[in-house]
Amino acid sequence: MIRVERLSREYGSVKAVDRLDFEIGRGEIVGFLGPNGAGKTTTMRMLTTYLPPSSGRANLAGHDVLDEPLEVRRKVGYLPENVPLYPEMRVREFLDFRAKLKDVPRNRRQAAVDGVIEQCKLKEVEERIVGNLSKGFRQRVGLAEAMVHDPDILILDEPTAGLDPIQVREVRSLIKMLGSKHTVLLSTHIMPEVEAVCGRVIVIVHGRIALDEDLQKLKLENSIEIELRGLAEGARKSLASAQGVTKVQELRRDGDSTTFEVQTRDGADMREFLAKRVQESGFGLRRLDRRRSTLEDRFVEAVRVATLSQAKEAAEGDAKRH
Amino acid sequence: MRHVFILFKRELGAYFLGPMAYLILVCFQVIAWLNFWMLVDMMSDPTALTALSGTSDPLNRYISESMGFWIAMLVAIPALTMRLFAEERRSGTIETLLTSPVTETEIVLAKWLAAVVMFLSLLAPFYLYLPFLVYFGKYSLDYGPIVSLSLTLVTAGMMFTAIGVFFSSTTRNQIVAAIATFVTLFVLIVMLGMAHEQALAARREELAEGLRYLSVLYQLHWSAAGRLDVRFLALHLSVATIALYLTSKQLRFGRDV
Repeated sequence: MIRVERLSREYGSVKAVDRLDFEIGRGEIVGFLGPNGAGKTTTMRMLTTYLPPSSGRANLAGHDVLDEPLEVRRKVGYLPENVPLYPEMRVREFLDFRAKLKDVPRNRRQAAVDGVIEQCKLKEVEERIVGNLSKGFRQRVGLAEAMVHDPDILILDEPTAGLDPIQVREVRSLIKMLGSKHTVLLSTHIMPEVEAVCGRVIVIVHGRIALDEDLQKLKLENSIEIELRGLAEGARKSLASAQGVTKVQELRRDGDSTTFEVQTRDGADMREFLAKRVQESGFGLRRLDRRRSTLEDRFVEAVRVATLSQAKEAAEGDAKRH
Repeated sequence: MRHVFILFKRELGAYFLGPMAYLILVCFQVIAWLNFWMLVDMMSDPTALTALSGTSDPLNRYISESMGFWIAMLVAIPALTMRLFAEERRSGTIETLLTSPVTETEIVLAKWLAAVVMFLSLLAPFYLYLPFLVYFGKYSLDYGPIVSLSLTLVTAGMMFTAIGVFFSSTTRNQIVAAIATFVTLFVLIVMLGMAHEQALAARREELAEGLRYLSVLYQLHWSAAGRLDVRFLALHLSVATIALYLTSKQLRFGRDV
């Protein structure tokens, strides 16, 4: 549905988006994460043909953003960051206007507008003036507007920003429902949102992809945390030599007790086996826990690694120049 | 081009959902009424009629040489056009507008046409009063000058609004757009005429002739006297076309304004 190859965008000498590569299939809901200023909005603007890329290609629903922008726009529904609406129009009038503009055929227009009003629960405000609506309703009007022409792809820039917890939950369930029919790319800062809604996560840092992973797979990546008493070096060796253990990492030392993180092959749960081994080797077992890495951990880690490697690259570039 | 009408209807609607359009319409209604009153007053005084000979004909007195008309026009055109793109940029709706399956040309044409229609409705009261001269005053109208002035006035209005649309597309600040439009119109309407006088005083005949040709005030004066010069129409429409072309390019390449 969405195919992006070496997509870049520069503002003067600043590289906002730097050679992005990814592919999103039909029916996927992808969370687009990144620290502020990482290039999320710029990427979304390029995908919706609002900004032309400086280089690289983007292909949405079989149409290139530069060669066939009008075709792309017909296939894409876009909700920009601050939900821009015409404040002087009424909700139904606005949706009807946008449906006309997006070439929804006359005989289907009424049904399409009714449909999104129903889906986004706007029935009670359909005759009210957009400018007088609360933030939550405005957000939903924006979402309804993005979906009114039944696009294959929905691109949503922070769709739940500024909503109260109940509205957030409603919008999330709406997005989840949309995912069964549409391909959804949504950006957000809220990690639980991604975990609740998305099937996949793409993290970008300084315009580059730092992590692109299936959420299901991310959840599988868990490790075992062991706190034991005894000589740290010996304990480490003993744990590492156990069959099925792939990596042992010392997390912290507190007096004579040490905490290790143990990773196992395919994330297998080896708690009983490890407990027995620790005791057989003569160490005092104080705590043994299964540790799930949260998305937030992975996000912070990915951002840290990406920032470090990019700083290193920049330093090498400087060194080469001198 | 099928989107032009949809967008045009929204733009026209947006004018009347705010107070601006009503204020300007009332203002022009008052000016038309005042000018008409002065015209009737003058024509009913037989001694004053001799003053209405030559180029200072009734139609020029009524519209194209009326101070009130031009001052109001200099304010009304920027006020009508400043919002068109600047407001969309400020509120961010430009982003949803430009990511709809609509071309830049369609957007520009729709907004410009809405402004032109508003301009025409400002002129309407002046024409509304003319039949009274025929039916109640028993004057006979000479339709030639009326037609020639109307044509030139309409194309001049197309040029003015196109200039306003262009400046509105260059900024997200309505005030900046309004001032830039005002200055440009002031140059076209007032300054060129003054420059013509200066050039004449300095005995630079060729320059004076050129400046006179460019001055909108002179063009309308000439047309109101019943001399329709197609070169004026061509000039107005050319400037309008260039301004609209630049606007669509500005929309295409100036998205980070």
